[in-house]
Amino acid sequence: MEIFEFEAKTTEEAIEKASRELNMPSDEMDIEIIEPGSAGIFGLVGGRNARIKVVINREKPFVENEYENERGLTIAKEALEKILGLIPMEGITVSAKQADGSITLNIEGDKSGLLIGRKGRTLDALQFIVNKIVNKSMDKRVQVIVDSENYRQRRKEFLIQMALKMGEKAKKIGKPVKTNLLNPHDRRIIHLALRDDGRLETKSRGEGLLKRVLIIPKK
Amino acid sequence: MKDLIAYIAKALVDKPEEVTVTEIEGEQTSVIELKVAKEDLGKVIGKQGRTARAMRTILSAASTKINKRSVLEIIE
Repeated sequence: MEIFEFEAKTTEEAIEKASRELNMPSDEMDIEIIEPGSAGIFGLVGGRNARIKVVINREKPFVENEYENERGLTIAKEALEKILGLIPMEGITVSAKQADGSITLNIEGDKSGLLIGRKGRTLDALQFIVNKIVNKSMDKRVQVIVDSENYRQRRKEFLIQMALKMGEKAKKIGKPVKTNLLNPHDRRIIHLALRDDGRLETKSRGEGLLKRVLIIPKK
Repeated sequence: MKDLIAYIAKALVDKPEEVTVTEIEGEQTSVIELKVAKEDLGKVIGKQGRTARAMRTILSAASTKINKRSVLEIIE
């Protein structure tokens, strides 16, 4: 595993720079925004560069050909079906599709939401385990997303709304507001949701996998 | 419960033949003991205990379904 840091005027530029220098498409990188960057007043005073952290697992290249992808998809789908069968869940089907180099497995028929769990924890756990299982038996890396009842999209929309609301609050009270503990994927959604608000900046705070996002109003 | 953990553990380790899972059933709570080859211990625990945590989360969803509680113990 290698860790790099990049700095540029905006987050997009930093990501572009990383992609160019590491010779890797941005969607294959694990990106964490350290500092979203800001233009400052009229782009003149108080501007700050965006900084990102890129984590790369170079041990294995990502899957490139159709055949490998197809194989990853089959292993992932079978592993998830097997786990769900042992829970046991009845009346459940798993559909699989490939897009942008990742595999999405969609669980259909869990009306109870049992497989989603509180804040998507069960879904994340299933996703984590299925990723481990697939990547163990593949020479190349595969990314698997596990979804149910459109949870991933709903969660994203919820987080964006929450970020906007907290941003308004931070501006109103003139003090930083912090989110609860979030995983890197969720934090990224918060950073991106507030990226274009010139009156706010966001930072991740804490140790370990789960961190808080600090939403800070600019003076 | 036992089969669920056994399947996941076997799929993660290098020596699946050395995976043993025993279930000690209580009235409300079951204890599931997972034993793997010494060199596979890291594979079922994971970085910062992530793999073990994910297994526990899946196990607790499975237990909820039958109105029980299960505890996963990884035996060293």
